[in-house]
Amino acid sequence: MLLAKDQLAALLEQLSKGSARLYVPARVDATTRFALFEPGIKTAFHLVNTTLPPKDLLFPQTQKMYRYGFDEQGIPYIDPVHDDDEVIAFGLRPCDMASIDCMDAVFLTKGYEDEFYAPRRKRLLTVVIGCTAPAQTCFCDSMAGDASTAPTADIQLNETADGSAYAVLANTPKGEAALTDWSGFLSDAKAPELLHAECSLKVSMEGIKQKLDTMYEHPLWERIAKKCVTCGACTYVCPTCHCFDISQENRMKEGERFRSWDSCMFSSYTLMAGDHNPRADKMPRVRQRFLHKLCFFEDRYGRSLCVGCGRCVEKCPVALDITELIDEIGAL
Amino acid sequence: MSALTIEHGCARATEQLVPVICKLVDISTETSDVKAFRVQTLDGQRPFDCSPGQTAMLSVIPYGECMFCVSAQGEDYLEFTVKRVGYVTEQLHALTLGDTVGLRGPYGNWFPTEGLKGKDVLFVGGGIGLAPLRALLTYLLDHRESYGRIDLVYSGSTRDDLLFLDDIFHVWPKQPDVHMHTSVYRESADWSGEVSYTAPYLEKLAFSPEGRVAVLCGGPSLFRTCLASLLKLGFDPGSIITTLEMRMKCGIGKCGRCNVGSKYICLDGPVFTMAELEDLPWSAD
Repeated sequence: MLLAKDQLAALLEQLSKGSARLYVPARVDATTRFALFEPGIKTAFHLVNTTLPPKDLLFPQTQKMYRYGFDEQGIPYIDPVHDDDEVIAFGLRPCDMASIDCMDAVFLTKGYEDEFYAPRRKRLLTVVIGCTAPAQTCFCDSMAGDASTAPTADIQLNETADGSAYAVLANTPKGEAALTDWSGFLSDAKAPELLHAECSLKVSMEGIKQKLDTMYEHPLWERIAKKCVTCGACTYVCPTCHCFDISQENRMKEGERFRSWDSCMFSSYTLMAGDHNPRADKMPRVRQRFLHKLCFFEDRYGRSLCVGCGRCVEKCPVALDITELIDEIGAL
Repeated sequence: MSALTIEHGCARATEQLVPVICKLVDISTETSDVKAFRVQTLDGQRPFDCSPGQTAMLSVIPYGECMFCVSAQGEDYLEFTVKRVGYVTEQLHALTLGDTVGLRGPYGNWFPTEGLKGKDVLFVGGGIGLAPLRALLTYLLDHRESYGRIDLVYSGSTRDDLLFLDDIFHVWPKQPDVHMHTSVYRESADWSGEVSYTAPYLEKLAFSPEGRVAVLCGGPSLFRTCLASLLKLGFDPGSIITTLEMRMKCGIGKCGRCNVGSKYICLDGPVFTMAELEDLPWSAD
């Protein structure tokens, strides 16, 4: 099936009127991110990647978990906060979808299905648009991904070679069902040749994990960490960084406990009572981030935690580049 | 000796992230900065079943949550032994009988009570490190016939820093084949026992590793020195068990901060053998 490009705006308009909240890549203030489709939105489908990743659709930067307080009789209460909105993420990139796969592994496996993530995930419809012109910092196809395909996405769109339309493919029953809402905008025409993209930035992951397994004490980490300013930008823009803090805010006799994004780049992250801190210094924190991405996560979940989106490469203020690190390890 | 098998990845919590409201039904002062709190549900039940070594997230609801090991349990309560060292514990210490707290858990794995059967058990702990050991020690005493000789090498900075005085001086020494070895680091007029750091005392007592498992819990320096002493005495790393601490927020292996390599202490631990830790990027510091 084909979706003519000149039908995209009308389709989005229609979807935005449905019961699900529709999120699309957009320019908001001074940045780009997935934003609610509403009148006046500055959509940004031309971007390869939004500056901020779509992870907040599933894992909000701040998420209320429950309210607590005392009722009129002085009886304490705790009321969990759950929202039940259906959400469509329209215009994800294949690397974004891979990052959702990583988050699913964290939040939905190993004994506990996270009670705040799982319902959001179940109600999320993922619509991925395959890339046609990866950025200079993109390297998804070196990280077991592919710039054009997203096999776990509910619906996948790929641009036709003449640039006039998207070929539409439902990968899941959920995507299949969702396409009924699109029917007025689709044509049955068979897709002509599709654009397939390849990243120009390449790294070789061959043997990297095996080397890193034995590199915990390697002098390289001191040198790598030297220029890091521990600003945490890499973890903020990373689509797979999922660490969170739990905190609370009180007003009079009521309050709410919430979780919010945290970063392993900050020393307070592991600070324990009695002032003991296993990662007080910068080097162990930088090492932790890279080993978690390229080594520990794979041991635990069977895949890398880096999807090659290039956001950290783009945003690091001191040009600490994970692809250069991988090359350097490969050359050892 | 056959290697001990420790369960890992034990997702047994009855509540993931949202606590149940409980009340304090007993508060006892152990030392100047340690109190033990007995916690019960509002309808008078034990909040949940747990095994020795498991942990739970206890909250002073408006102030925050902290992870503690369950130091004892009864028919209708769980007990937490808490040192006042920070913001939340300060608030916890200020609570009085009948006050409400939040509780969620139990998290993590437990000491290998099956694998220890028929073995002699040497407990080594310092200060507040006795809290998790006590949960196991009490379990062994409740099933006394299944386990061999029990030794506890316990120390505090001073006489006033020793916990569970009734247990260590009166209750436990009277149990069959239980041997107490208590020391303090600094002498005082009211102390006539051993004055020694834990590790040299442990070496002086010269325990044989034959048929014996060591269970170790204490701060970084006690841990490091006593581990070295146990290895010197000939203990195999597979026969040394410990329980680790890390900062924790979620307790269910998601929030990320308690990882050691590919393991999460809250979910895969906190109980490990030293042989297992040798394979992880971990150090006592």
